[in-house]
Amino acid sequence: MSNSLKLTNVSKSFGEAKIIKNLNLDIKKNERHAIIGPNGAGKSTLFHLISGHYKLTSGKITLNGDVINNLEPHQINRKGLARSFQVTNIFPKMSVYENIRCGILWSLDFKYSIIKLVNKNKELNKKTNVILQEVNLQHCAHLPAGLLSYADQRALEIGITIAGGADTLMLDEPTAGMSNSETERAVNLIKQISENRTLVVVEHDMGVVFDLADRISVLVYGEIIATDTPNNIRKNKAVQAAYLGTEEH
Amino acid sequence: MLNILKPFSTWIIIAAIAAALPLIFESSFALTLLSKMGVLIIFTVAYNMLLGQGGMLSFGHAIYFGLAGYASIHILNGIGEETLPYFPTVLFPLIGAIVGLFFGSIVGYVSTRRAGTAFAMISLGFCEMVTAMTLIFVIFFNGEDGIQTDRMVGPEPFGVSFGPQIEVYYLILFWVLLTVALMYIITKTPFGRMSNAVRDNPERAAFIGYSVRRVRWQAFALSSMFAGAAGSLHAINYEHIGFESVSVVQSGAVLFMAFIGGAGHFLGPIIGAIGLTYLDSTLADITEAWLLYLGLTFSGIVMFAPGGLAGLIVMHGPIARTNKNLLFSLIKPYLLAIGSVITGLLGLIGIIEMLYFRSLISKGEGEIIIFWTEFNANGILSWLIFIGLILLGIFLSKRTFPVAKESWDNAISVVKTEISNE
Ligand SMILES: Nc1ncnc2c1ncn2[C@@H]1O[C@H](COP(=O)(O)OP(=O)(O)O)[C@@H](O)[C@H]1O
Ligand SMILES: [Mg+2]
Repeated sequence: MSNSLKLTNVSKSFGEAKIIKNLNLDIKKNERHAIIGPNGAGKSTLFHLISGHYKLTSGKITLNGDVINNLEPHQINRKGLARSFQVTNIFPKMSVYENIRCGILWSLDFKYSIIKLVNKNKELNKKTNVILQEVNLQHCAHLPAGLLSYADQRALEIGITIAGGADTLMLDEPTAGMSNSETERAVNLIKQISENRTLVVVEHDMGVVFDLADRISVLVYGEIIATDTPNNIRKNKAVQAAYLGTEEH
Repeated sequence: MLNILKPFSTWIIIAAIAAALPLIFESSFALTLLSKMGVLIIFTVAYNMLLGQGGMLSFGHAIYFGLAGYASIHILNGIGEETLPYFPTVLFPLIGAIVGLFFGSIVGYVSTRRAGTAFAMISLGFCEMVTAMTLIFVIFFNGEDGIQTDRMVGPEPFGVSFGPQIEVYYLILFWVLLTVALMYIITKTPFGRMSNAVRDNPERAAFIGYSVRRVRWQAFALSSMFAGAAGSLHAINYEHIGFESVSVVQSGAVLFMAFIGGAGHFLGPIIGAIGLTYLDSTLADITEAWLLYLGLTFSGIVMFAPGGLAGLIVMHGPIARTNKNLLFSLIKPYLLAIGSVITGLLGLIGIIEMLYFRSLISKGEGEIIIFWTEFNANGILSWLIFIGLILLGIFLSKRTFPVAKESWDNAISVVKTEISNE
């Protein structure tokens, strides 16, 4: 199996504070990889670094062999990496349908066209409907996204994330703040969309993590203290001491 | 055949009405006014590609309007003096469009690197700079006098010389229909949709593969291009261009029109351009305080109806779709509330007019005509009447507004329950 995402000696400081410390991580192609760790460990920061939202202080990140840490977020996205955010990040004034459709535009090579009409393109609208169905939001397709319930907005965010057909997906706490039944639905959705894709997911709910992940990395104070299969992570003494035994996040 | 035309029926009806207007309003005043409205409709809709569609607040968009105007005047003069080859007058807005696109691409490239306040400040800086240049580079801009031209140059195809104002009106109308249709279509393209997306959430737009800066730059350049087309027509219409056409004043005027009309809706700027141009031409002759009223209206809209007039209308769309009777039930409370406001405004206008009159116009005598009635600006009774009206307006508003709001809330809650029941 080849590497999908490889981080080499990645560091990030905000002023004096070193938030990510010499971090190394190999994520394999088509695996589901969970990143766990206490609040403030640097999980979201790590996502921001990989997706180009923050610039590295030092180190190197490659996606399918190409160096991406010097690219802008939209360039990284075009290389096949899509992400969601811990705080819902959608286009609240646009309809649900339009949110998804915008997510598809680049992948169908529409670029910045001012001569093609989005309503007239069969492939675009067909694909929009497929994604809507996948995230189960057909019933509210024409409502402004800002009016949806929290859980539906999270589902929409996943929809936008997968819409462009990226083969590496990164989801930051996709089930946070959901009820049990909502979480169950979200997990099924995530399982389904990550078929034949690489998935990196930050998640606090241990039930979800052990259910979903092929491998788990444990991040504590900007360092990865273990990367292993769920079973081995459960048994890992260092992890128990640092994280699992003490606090349930 | 008719079926093909059906999707364009609204456009065709509007075009027909606009074409018939000069037959109904025959005076030369009306024709001048209609021509000016046309030019400003193009300019305002173009400006709204930035403000409403792209979320960029510019205080300097007159640059592209005005520079295109200067270029057009110079070319008209060149053709007149036969130093330049003939170019059909009908196609002059293309020249303006190229000029606008050229300068818009350059300034846009620099200024769209930043968003928000920084963008607004940069636009203001450029506008001041260009205005200063009109006074420095006298050879091109001819300082405060500006430049004259004669639009009747070259051959007269089909007997059309563009001498009579009516011919200029139809020229402007043709370009209004063409450019507004194009700008409308652009909102339905991938670029148009992403322009809205970048406006609403630039961060998200970047993570779906779009360069936020590139989207903004393109919006800026296109908006300047259409503003340039309007600038050409402006020059042809007046046969004159002056430094005020590139100034912050002209930039502010287009901002006012777009915002008061409603930047969030495609039709808003058109409503704003028509309404404010009309008021500007009629009220400016009646009252010295016209700009003050304009400023008050703008502030009022910013505070109480940030969606502008179009926003107020669109806001009622869901109610109209759910239940027409619900909409009709709003009419009475609305009329009462509007009536209270108007009562207070009558008082306010009276006071303002008398203040202006006393400080600017009166030389001893006090007779002033306000609302077709004679008042004595020096007499205590006039002041008491208007102050009384203000107080009455406030008093009535306190009663009618809560009722209007309650009716609105009630209607909206009905709509919400209907939607969730679906
Ligand atoms: N832009 C920033 N500037 C300064 N400090 C930051 C910034 N972003 C995150 N941090 C700090 O980095 C640490 C890790 O944050 P975060 O990555 O959000 O943690 P996690 O997602 O694991 O809960 C926190 O202490 C936070 O305060
Ligand atoms: Mg986090």
